Amino acid sequence: MISDITAIISDYWLLLLIGQYPNGPLGGLANTLILSAFSIALAFPVSILFALARLSKWRLLRWPVTALVYVTRGVPLLMLILWSYFLVPLWTGADVPSFVTMLTTLVVYQGAFLSEVVRGGIVALGHGQMEAAKALGHSYLGAMRFVILPQALYNMIPSIISTFVSTIKDTTLGYVINVPDLTFAASQVNNQLLTQPFQVFLILAVVYYAICWSLTHVANVIERRITRRRAGLTDRAKPVSLAMSKIVSEQP
Amino acid sequence: MTLSDTSAQQPQAIRIANVYKSYGDHPVLKNIDAEVARGEVVVICGPSGSGKSTLIRTINRLEEISSGVISFDGQNIHAPMRTKELNLLRSRIGFVFQNFNLFPHLSVVENVSMSPIRVKGVAPAEAHDKALKLLDRVGLADKANAYPAQLSGGQQQRVAIARALAMEPPVMLFDEPTSALDPEMVGEVLAVMKSLAADGMTMLCVTHEMGFARDVADRIWFIDAGEIIETAPPEEFFKAPRHPRAQRFLADLRH
Repeated sequence: MISDITAIISDYWLLLLIGQYPNGPLGGLANTLILSAFSIALAFPVSILFALARLSKWRLLRWPVTALVYVTRGVPLLMLILWSYFLVPLWTGADVPSFVTMLTTLVVYQGAFLSEVVRGGIVALGHGQMEAAKALGHSYLGAMRFVILPQALYNMIPSIISTFVSTIKDTTLGYVINVPDLTFAASQVNNQLLTQPFQVFLILAVVYYAICWSLTHVANVIERRITRRRAGLTDRAKPVSLAMSKIVSEQP
Repeated sequence: MTLSDTSAQQPQAIRIANVYKSYGDHPVLKNIDAEVARGEVVVICGPSGSGKSTLIRTINRLEEISSGVISFDGQNIHAPMRTKELNLLRSRIGFVFQNFNLFPHLSVVENVSMSPIRVKGVAPAEAHDKALKLLDRVGLADKANAYPAQLSGGQQQRVAIARALAMEPPVMLFDEPTSALDPEMVGEVLAVMKSLAADGMTMLCVTHEMGFARDVADRIWFIDAGEIIETAPPEEFFKAPRHPRAQRFLADLRH
C-alpha cells in the first residue's frame, strides 16, 4: 500500500506537479495553486465591495448586489460553473478558456459568501465607531478604510479563512469543465492505472489537506500577532492565557 | 464672503433657532431657541429622556432635525450640503462621547494623530508631535504607545478629549462624558474639562455633574420633555430655579 503510493508518486510526480506542461497547458498542483491564489486575491476585494454595496443607502447599488448575493448563495456552485461554461460562449460567441470561466465563477461565488462575512463584521461593530469617525470629520469611505474595516476584517479572520479554504477546495470542481488542475491530473493517473483509485485519491486528499492546513496555520499566526499587539504585549512577553478564537475550517 | 469673514462677525459660536425634531408623532425636541457665545461654557441638564443628548447630537448633525436652524460660525449645519462640506464642518466641532468610542485597533497616540493626518492632511511626524503634546496636556504622555483596552475608563475618556482637540476645533461638545465612568475616575476627566474652560474653549456639555456645572458653567440650560424651560447662570439656577420642574429636579438631586 505505502509502496503503491510511492510508486505512483515517483512515476507521475511531474504530471501531478505541472500537468502536461511544457507539451500542453500548465496543470497539476501548480495550476491549482495559481487558480486558488487568483480566486482568493480577487474574491477578497470583490467581497468588500459587495459588502459596502449591500450596506449602501443607495438602492441602485444595494438591490442588484443583494439579489446577486442571494441568488449566488442559493445555487450550487457546480451549476454556476456549468452555466458560465456553456452559456457565455453561446451568448457572446467568445471562446473563453476554461481556466478563466472557473476563475470568474469562483470569484463571484466566493465573493458573495465572503461579502456576508465582511458585512457581518461591519454590522457587529455597532454605530459608535462610525459616529466617532464622522464626528472627527472623516468621510464615509475614509471611516470605512481607517476605522471600520481594519476592525471588522480582523474580527472576522476565522470566518474569512474558512471561506478561503473552501475556495481552494472548490477549485477541484474545475475538473468538470476540464480545467487541468491537480484533481484533473490525479484522475488522469487513475485512468491509466485503473486498479488503484484509493491510493491515487489519497495522495490528492493529502496534498489538499496540506495546502489548506498551511493557510489556516499562517492565518492563526497572523491573528495571534495582531491580538498580542493590541493587548499591548511585546514579542518578548509571553502571553500566558490569551483567549484565542479557534479557526474553524469547514464548508460554509 | 469667506468663512473667516463670517465668523468674525458672529458673536455667537452656536445659534439654535426654532428647532423641532420628532420620531414619527413623538416630539423629542420642541421650540429650541438658544445661543452659545464664544468662550462660553454651557451645561445642559435635565431628567433622563428629556432630549439632552439628542439636542447636543444635532449640533454636529449626528442626528437630523425636523425643522429649524442650527448655525455654527454663521453656517447652517442642517442646510442641504455636499457631504464634503458637512465633514469639514464636523471636523471643526469637537465631540466627546459617553462611551469614549476610541479606536481599539490603534494605539493611544495613533488615535489622537490619525484624524489630523487623514482628514486635514497634516504631515505624520507633525501630527505625532502634536498628539504627544495633547496627551501630555491630559496627563497621559506615558500611555502614548498603549492600546485603549489597557486603559481605565477615565484614561480612555481623556484620550478621547485629546483626540477631539487634535482637530483644533473652536467648539467642544460633551455628551455625558463622565456617565460611563466609575466614581473615582470622574474627577480626572472633569479636571481636564475645567482646564479647557479656563483656556477659553467654547464648550457645551450634557452632564449630571452639578458640581462641575456650578464651578465652571457660565450658563445652565435646563431641558425637560424636549424643551429648554430655563436658562440661567449657575448661581441663580441652583439657588432659585424659577421653573417648578427645575425645582423638583434639583430637590431630587439633593436626596
